[in-house]
Amino acid sequence: MATTTTALPDEVMSLVRQRSKGGLLQAVSDTALVCGRNLRKLVRTPGLIVFGTIQPVMMLLLFSFVFGGVAGSTIPFYKSFIVPTVVVQSLTFAASSSGVGLANDLESGMIDRFRSLPINRAAVLLGRTLSDGVRIFLQASLLLIVATFIGFRFPAGVDRGLLMLVVAVIFGVSLSIFMAWMGLWLKDPETVQVAAFVPIFPLIFASSGFAPVNTLPGWMQEFARVNPFTAAVDTMRGLALGNHYQRLANRPGENFNFSAHLGSSSWHLAAWIAAITLVFTTLSVREYRKV
Amino acid sequence: MGGHDRAPPPAAAPAVTAAVLAEGLTKHFGAVHAVKGIDFEVDEGSIVGLLGPNGAGKTTTIRMLTTLLAPTAGRATVAGLDVVKEAQAVRAVIGLTGQYAAVDETLTGRENIILCARLVHLNRAEAAAKAEELLERFGLVDAADRLLKTYSGGMRRRLDLAASLVGTPVVLFLDEPTTGLDPRSRLALWDVIEGLKASGTTIVLTTQYLEEADRLAERISVIDDGRIIAEGTADQLKTRVGGDMLALVVADRSRTSVAAELLSQRFDVHGTDLHVVGDLGTVTLPVSGGAQSLVEAVRVLDAAGVTLADIALRRTSLDDVFLALTGHSTDDAVPVASRTARRKRRGPDTTDNAA
Repeated sequence: MATTTTALPDEVMSLVRQRSKGGLLQAVSDTALVCGRNLRKLVRTPGLIVFGTIQPVMMLLLFSFVFGGVAGSTIPFYKSFIVPTVVVQSLTFAASSSGVGLANDLESGMIDRFRSLPINRAAVLLGRTLSDGVRIFLQASLLLIVATFIGFRFPAGVDRGLLMLVVAVIFGVSLSIFMAWMGLWLKDPETVQVAAFVPIFPLIFASSGFAPVNTLPGWMQEFARVNPFTAAVDTMRGLALGNHYQRLANRPGENFNFSAHLGSSSWHLAAWIAAITLVFTTLSVREYRKV
Repeated sequence: MGGHDRAPPPAAAPAVTAAVLAEGLTKHFGAVHAVKGIDFEVDEGSIVGLLGPNGAGKTTTIRMLTTLLAPTAGRATVAGLDVVKEAQAVRAVIGLTGQYAAVDETLTGRENIILCARLVHLNRAEAAAKAEELLERFGLVDAADRLLKTYSGGMRRRLDLAASLVGTPVVLFLDEPTTGLDPRSRLALWDVIEGLKASGTTIVLTTQYLEEADRLAERISVIDDGRIIAEGTADQLKTRVGGDMLALVVADRSRTSVAAELLSQRFDVHGTDLHVVGDLGTVTLPVSGGAQSLVEAVRVLDAAGVTLADIALRRTSLDDVFLALTGHSTDDAVPVASRTARRKRRGPDTTDNAA
């Protein structure tokens, strides 16, 4: 019977051609439409942006002033030391909204709607990730601006500082792909919200984020050294603080080669970003197709 | 509604214009067999209802036909396009309105429609024009530029339906389009769906409301436990169950059994078809002969001195059909013709359409 498309009435075939053009151009425009929709939602939920920004700023102030005193003796510029950490932390929280957003869309039936339309199969996920990238960029920029008010500077130069921002956004986007998978996998927005913190906290704290790795207990050092957050924080610190970072690590009895460390951290981070992106894009697409 | 067209269905035409065709469509979720081999065919321009209780497999079937779910076995085509092999092409020719209004809360009504229109690849101007046209048609012009947060349930459903029409689909799938709506919104939505029917769109709708299937669908497939257990027009299904139901309430409950005995003899109705609830004084039985049987019953009971609190003749509704076929209700009035169906309703051979 009518299994071949040639047997179909012309009317149906011309509709198919009009509605589903296919190709890269369509993929780009579909992604842009979904991304635009997400951003529009974001703009219309000002509370999310306001508190999403206030929260990391608050963290930054708390960490710098609470820990600054104790840590100051070991790390003379703890405030600067902590800034990249708080940036990573804030982009992680922002990325978790990717999962919550997708779970919401699943619950409301929007994903079904999108999946029943002749759009590119990756557009919903890509659109989500892109809009999260924009959000992460805005939040991280605001955070850095606030940081300058409490004395944070880019001793290695503003260009390096901007590079740090770029690194933050790319890392954040890869995390948002991971969170997207969590959202599609767990399906319930509230569960996603809670579940996201399970991996986030150990990754943030058992890293070089708040204290140098070699001050952690031995077993935790092993974890901290492979932790992607260590790679992210070290790379961002290296870019933001440059040689000043070296002063920090150059404690007696330790030979710290700053540029070698930055080099290895950035490779380490690049590997993590590639791995997270690859694995969780694959898993998310698979989950998206079968939800 | 109703009518007295009890003619047999026209002989199945050769499948040249089957808008939807399913053959042995099956879906297993692990050990759960949600859909167990469904066959059906929808003619172009017609409107077909899938009627069944919650968990019968209606939504799973719709999800397979709309490419959202891959079948475990069997095949299906929509407008001649295979739902698995030509999924993207199928998406280009269908519209889907799911069980919940799939609309974006933080967008306005117009933005929702424009988004969908752009996603079926209308250009900016076409999308704007389409939105205007659909908002007009669904009576949403005044609310068009308000955020959806301010919409009522009925408005959301109408918008949802409008959004599924942006691509001028050849086949429209409506999954429980009025579930959860108040009666007034339901009536309004029915009018809209009837309008679509008039414009020649092929429609497949699922519902658990018999009234809805009766009113909207030309043909009804009754689905239960993953199988189609009966198929036909509303009238054909009603005929299968039998004639009318006579229901009465005896004034003096102690005389219920007397009344039941008299009616049983007079109308030759016995066993489970004669439904008696002594505590309530009710007797229900199937009768043929319409209004005359009511007169007859009154005469017989009056002669025996049984006084009645209430008596009514009820035309068989699809509810009766449904209960008779699925047996899901505990032990309500189940009329004559279903006696055999009832007994073997759980067996694998309850399928009435030759599959």
